[in-house]
Amino acid sequence: MSALKRYLPLLLLALVWEAAPRLHIIDPASVPPLSQVATAWWDLLRSGDLVSNGLSSLENLSAGLALGVVVGISLGVLMAWYRPLDELVHPLVRALYPMPKSALIPVMILWLGLGSASKIASIFIGCLLPVVLSAYNGARGVDRVLIWSALAAGASRRAVLWEVILPSALPEILAGTRNALALSFILLVSSEFVIGQRGLGYLISFLGEGGAYDAMFAGVLTVAAVGFLADRVYLAVMRSALAWRE
Amino acid sequence: MARVSERSGWARALRRNALMLALAVAWELAARLHLTTDFLLPSFFTVMRRLALDTVSGQLPMALAYTLYRALVGFTLAAVLGVVLGILIARVRLARWFFDPLVSVGLPMPKIAFLPVFILWFGVFDESKILMVAFSAIFPVIVEAAAATESVDRILIWSALGLGAGERRLLWEIALPAAFPQIMTGLQVALPISLIVAVLTEMAMGGEGLGATMMQAMRFADSPGVFAGIIAIAVAGSVLVKAMEIVRRRLLVWHAEAEAR
Amino acid sequence: MAGTGIAFESVSHTYRPARGRPVLALDRVSLAVREREFLALLGPSGCGKSTLLYLLGGFLPVETGRISVGGAEVTGPGPDRGIVFQNFALFPWKTVKQNILYGLEKQKLPRPEREKRAQEFIDLVHLMGFEDSYPSQLSGGMKQRVAIARTLAIDPAILLMDEPFGALDAQTRGLMHEELLGIIERRPKTVVFVTHDVREAVYLADRVAVMSARPGRIKEIVEIGRDGRLGPEIVKSREFIDKVDYLWDSVRTEALLAQSQKSTEP
Repeated sequence: MSALKRYLPLLLLALVWEAAPRLHIIDPASVPPLSQVATAWWDLLRSGDLVSNGLSSLENLSAGLALGVVVGISLGVLMAWYRPLDELVHPLVRALYPMPKSALIPVMILWLGLGSASKIASIFIGCLLPVVLSAYNGARGVDRVLIWSALAAGASRRAVLWEVILPSALPEILAGTRNALALSFILLVSSEFVIGQRGLGYLISFLGEGGAYDAMFAGVLTVAAVGFLADRVYLAVMRSALAWRE
Repeated sequence: MARVSERSGWARALRRNALMLALAVAWELAARLHLTTDFLLPSFFTVMRRLALDTVSGQLPMALAYTLYRALVGFTLAAVLGVVLGILIARVRLARWFFDPLVSVGLPMPKIAFLPVFILWFGVFDESKILMVAFSAIFPVIVEAAAATESVDRILIWSALGLGAGERRLLWEIALPAAFPQIMTGLQVALPISLIVAVLTEMAMGGEGLGATMMQAMRFADSPGVFAGIIAIAVAGSVLVKAMEIVRRRLLVWHAEAEAR
Repeated sequence: MAGTGIAFESVSHTYRPARGRPVLALDRVSLAVREREFLALLGPSGCGKSTLLYLLGGFLPVETGRISVGGAEVTGPGPDRGIVFQNFALFPWKTVKQNILYGLEKQKLPRPEREKRAQEFIDLVHLMGFEDSYPSQLSGGMKQRVAIARTLAIDPAILLMDEPFGALDAQTRGLMHEELLGIIERRPKTVVFVTHDVREAVYLADRVAVMSARPGRIKEIVEIGRDGRLGPEIVKSREFIDKVDYLWDSVRTEALLAQSQKSTEP
């Protein structure tokens, strides 16, 4: 019930979206009525366009994000664990952090051509640094008495890494990965706009260029909804993983 | 290993930037030794030379100006509107009820997906780019401004009320300065977003600007041009971020947290 | 095992912060701890008593001097020297039982044996019913009991305690004193107990080593002749009051000195 109350304004907006174009308060050529968008969405689904492009996007997103997260956590934790590596890599990380990673999309195209590889690479590069930094901060922030307690209990240094440092850094790592998730969506859509070929971003721009505006809106809403839902699902997973925090 | 802090500042700076120097050297070597083709990785000096050439010819400053124009106008829009909306959401029940779902749904959404909509509505020139920038950047501003206004220390408010402050004065003289640090944080997050989105819109739509020239260079397989573009954007990004930090420090001299960076 | 007597031979330690000048924390500390003895390390803040404990625990490297346990030199941490910290150091992502099981798993005991011992120690510290609770759900006193149970479960010959009751309120602290004494009576160990609380030291210890302000040295060692007497009654005895007064004076001069020093305890 309270969820309904919370999202009521959206419902109202939906009503306005339907009524205003129909009443010609807004130009229906620029803003097709919501029902028209819904129909177009259904058509896209049935024709298979939505699914095939959606799958392509999903593949590339997962690959780029997974790579970014795995490499990022490994690098971040290793940097926190080995001082020499930290001193070597950290200044580079800090220098690269403020750079807009989306600027590297053309380079990826240069190196990897117009296809999935450059999309995945763009997503990977975009996600990497936030994950590295959060893993690093999480691992560094481990209270040393936890490490010492484990050592005094007879744990080897390797055991300490896996059994104390990683679990202790988990909250921060999960927060950084949430960030990376949002970034991955941005880079997915941008790279699909620029590189094209396949994917929801490509579908949207294709529909827009072809004048099928109701279908275009349907596509945009789909991407927006997926991005939103992914974040919500992730939050739920994160909360259950950190249930011990209370 | 004993950390002796008497080393000269030079030696320490050198050590800290060792990797970057090493990478720059490796970059140049790889190109010289033809480990990679000139296409994949033009030599460091080629790129530098290209940067210099473009700067002198006015091409780079022009493109930079376009991008910065869009980014900063969009940022300003987002900043002003975002702060106003954020304060409104915190203080007016109706505003909060209306905007809360919009903001919480909008925040995790990839707002760049709306670019084709903006193109449809506002054309293919500057307007759509600027508005896209504003749309993307406004969300963090709203969130921080709302949170900041809400969380202004109750004790502070009570003290001011006790001293006879009226509602309006309370807002301007107590609540806003107290909320300012967090609002600043929101702006600091929004600025790089503004730059990224400006570049992205240019890449997708063309029409002058660093993003567009980079795409152009890519299409002509002009890799020094592409790399030069990246460096220009990276430098622009760093300068903006640094400028923001300085502004923050100046404005928040009284705020202890400014040190905690 | 060749006995659990502890020997500190001329141990010094320098603290080297990332910024700023190195500070001498301990200055040629020599001390012997007898087997099965309860020794309190008493001193003001910053005197290095915790540092001495960490060196004994093997968490900090011994650069100058030598620390040996039963004749063998200390080279690193180990399950022969269990440690209990002031802020409990419980693994927050593990339940009470899982925390206590941790050391037992490291000892590679077979599962049924592990479970039995864990339960034994949960009972010992009176935490039955809380096996599946997380540390965030427990009070300070309960958390400290878990920490003690976790350390005792692996049955170390030596127990190191770093102001273990410092984070607890006065009443809980009193109860914990009783529990600790009870536990040690049932399973005797060598205990090195760091504290800045004079009464606590006299109440619990067989001997009290007073440390000077930084750089830490052993100022004096006072024998608490308790003749096996333990428990709340002793606080009323003349000897107890006298010992406390004496030690309080001894520590007070050091505490005043320490106050004027800038605190750089790691």
